[in-house]
Amino acid sequence: MSGPNDDNMSPHTQLSSHFFGDLLDSIIVDVASECHRIAKLGLDRNLEEEEEELRLSTQARVRAADPSNSGEANSKYVVDIFGQTHPPVANEIFECMNCGRSIMAGRFAPHLEKCMGKGRKARLKATRSSTAAQNRYSRGSPVSTYSPYSNSSSTNRLSNGTPGVAGEEYSNGTLEEP
Amino acid sequence: MSSKINHHHHHHRFNTQIFPPPCPHLAEFRARNGSKPFRALQDCLRVKPPGGRAAIRRDPSEVPRCGACGESARPRLYACLACAAISCHAPPGPSHAAAHATSMPPGHEIAVDVDRAEIFCCACRDQVYDRDFDAAVVLSQTATLKSATIQSAKPENLRKRRRVDYRPWSPDIRDRVLMETGSSPLENGSDLPRGLRGLNNLGNTCFMNSVLQALLHTPPLRNYFLSDRHNRYYCKKKNGVSNSNAGGKRNVGTADGHGNKNARLCLACDMDAMFSAVFSGDRKPYSPAKFLYSWWQHASNLASYEQQDAHEFFISMLDGIHENVEKDRHKPHSQGHGDCCIAHRVFSGILRSDVMCMTCGFTSTTYDPCVDISLDLEPHQGGSSKSVSTKTHHSCNGEVDGMNPGQNCGISTLMGCLDRFTRPERLGADQKFFCQQCQVRQESLKQMSIRKLPLVSCFHIKRFEHSSIRKMSRKVDRYLQFPFSLDMTPYLSSSILRNRFGNRIFPFDGDEPDASNEMSSEFELFAVVTHTGKLDAGHYVTYLRLSNQWYKCDDAWVTQVNENIVRAAQGYMMFYVQKMLYYKASENRAVS
Repeated sequence: MSGPNDDNMSPHTQLSSHFFGDLLDSIIVDVASECHRIAKLGLDRNLEEEEEELRLSTQARVRAADPSNSGEANSKYVVDIFGQTHPPVANEIFECMNCGRSIMAGRFAPHLEKCMGKGRKARLKATRSSTAAQNRYSRGSPVSTYSPYSNSSSTNRLSNGTPGVAGEEYSNGTLEEP
Repeated sequence: MSSKINHHHHHHRFNTQIFPPPCPHLAEFRARNGSKPFRALQDCLRVKPPGGRAAIRRDPSEVPRCGACGESARPRLYACLACAAISCHAPPGPSHAAAHATSMPPGHEIAVDVDRAEIFCCACRDQVYDRDFDAAVVLSQTATLKSATIQSAKPENLRKRRRVDYRPWSPDIRDRVLMETGSSPLENGSDLPRGLRGLNNLGNTCFMNSVLQALLHTPPLRNYFLSDRHNRYYCKKKNGVSNSNAGGKRNVGTADGHGNKNARLCLACDMDAMFSAVFSGDRKPYSPAKFLYSWWQHASNLASYEQQDAHEFFISMLDGIHENVEKDRHKPHSQGHGDCCIAHRVFSGILRSDVMCMTCGFTSTTYDPCVDISLDLEPHQGGSSKSVSTKTHHSCNGEVDGMNPGQNCGISTLMGCLDRFTRPERLGADQKFFCQQCQVRQESLKQMSIRKLPLVSCFHIKRFEHSSIRKMSRKVDRYLQFPFSLDMTPYLSSSILRNRFGNRIFPFDGDEPDASNEMSSEFELFAVVTHTGKLDAGHYVTYLRLSNQWYKCDDAWVTQVNENIVRAAQGYMMFYVQKMLYYKASENRAVS
């Protein structure tokens, strides 16, 4: 049962090991040959740059998580870069281009919605406005034209919030007073 | 695997590839024999499976053996190109291949790896490369495949416009006089960049403000509007709209009250007004009210006072600009060329999709225009989500040695997402594709690549996760690393195709001699739209990079931030612009 070079392996096991070794060697040469070609032809990616970017990001996240930092991302603003301050609700006043009334900027969208007869509430009440004729496509189809591979269903969307300090959340749709 | 070495060699660069000079033995061989031996080899090239790896066999059932030692199981067996003798090369053992070269008269140094179809110099003991040999291999690989390109928008027309050199221009005396009489220079009192101005939130409109800030600082778009390429007064006049308010007031519209719209809807005009206002030097926050009004007329299904998605707005807006310009001047409607309107000129690229039948190798190719790329985040963090492709054993795509940094650290990265986007994907049993050659539905392999890069690449991260179990959706807050400089070369069709055929030296789709791809695959980040909060209640903020300084635009509030804040932020849409812009010869009509 034992061969001259037997070290506790049966000939069967030795043969299997031998074949495995050959296959492994062959695969290693496959990889080496491919890498050699990629390197020689200048097709390899610039891994150093990629690693540097990754390192910078990791560092940045550590710094951002550090509470001793000024926490610019989430702190309340005092003045902006031009030295100005702004109220939570934009208070510039201008004329609505649909009806001509004077409206405060921060309340313009809800006003316009009713004014144009858009939105759920307005649609429930009023008759259709003439601009309904411009209704060109339903949700999802423009996306499929221009980015066919993206999921264009209306559920794949992130909604925005109301104005104010970053990081605070507001409930759906309502403009809350501070 | 270090890539340091190559960057210092002065090799001839062909479309970002290096074409290494031959070793003296190969050069000698070529000089003596030309490319005849390589073409003769073509009869011996066996490609299995269709389009897969090529091997050298004199007849299909041949089992190559080393002439010196009789071994056939060696990992490396080389067939001499001069006399067809097969020798093994198995360091650290004796190299019968090298022995063959030295024992024979000169001319037997060049051999070919019978299993991998790679040329080897037995004297240098190194793998060498030859363009004609590679061409022969690729041709035999593609001969085993049939393919078809569907879709008439094959981008042949891209090549018609040759590149021209940049010609600098300065105004002459007459130009100066004309400029000075018609205008006055804007003052910029501070060191702060022009065009930096807050946008008032009009009520749940930060989704719109965030995208507008990015667009206001998209270099080609900004240049277009600031160069007066779409003049809102001229546009309205041309469209026969009489407008008593044309004096630069913000609320350009009809004079009378109730919804009687004489003003022709034109989002580009509203953009023009916005650019003028934002770059005017006035730093008080601007209210994009007219823009909102126009957009709601254009996209009436999205016209409501509620929280909305920034990406959806972006797409809708570009469509709005396209719609209006399209009706003028008999411009081509197809967006792939970007000749239709400024929106597509800036953002439109072309994607290539290949679907390959796994049975017969028949490949069906389609080209589609796109204005952005929506990317999925990896299913679980740190998981290696490479799909194992049985089609190609060349598992390159940048991951050949497993050194993709993102996957090592377990962080999701933008490049990792792009790798996934362009990886070969198996369309399984439930997604069989109809193969024209087999005339039956077969399991297939699908692969995306970028045929033409846009001037500005917008990447949209799908931070949405739908759980079919719980029947609800949630937002994926997972951090995604994104670089400030991005090289898109690995994702080009030419790179992907080249990789599919073993990285051979061969002009693949997209490799043009006047390489518009050359050096224009490098992009720089200039804007990041971030989202914080929940799926239905959150807040958008945009970070802008101007003169390598980062600014945070949070509706009306513009503040300066350190780049670390940006790197650590949760990116939702990232905007990259080509580092180098090349000019193409214009056709006789005015180029838009």
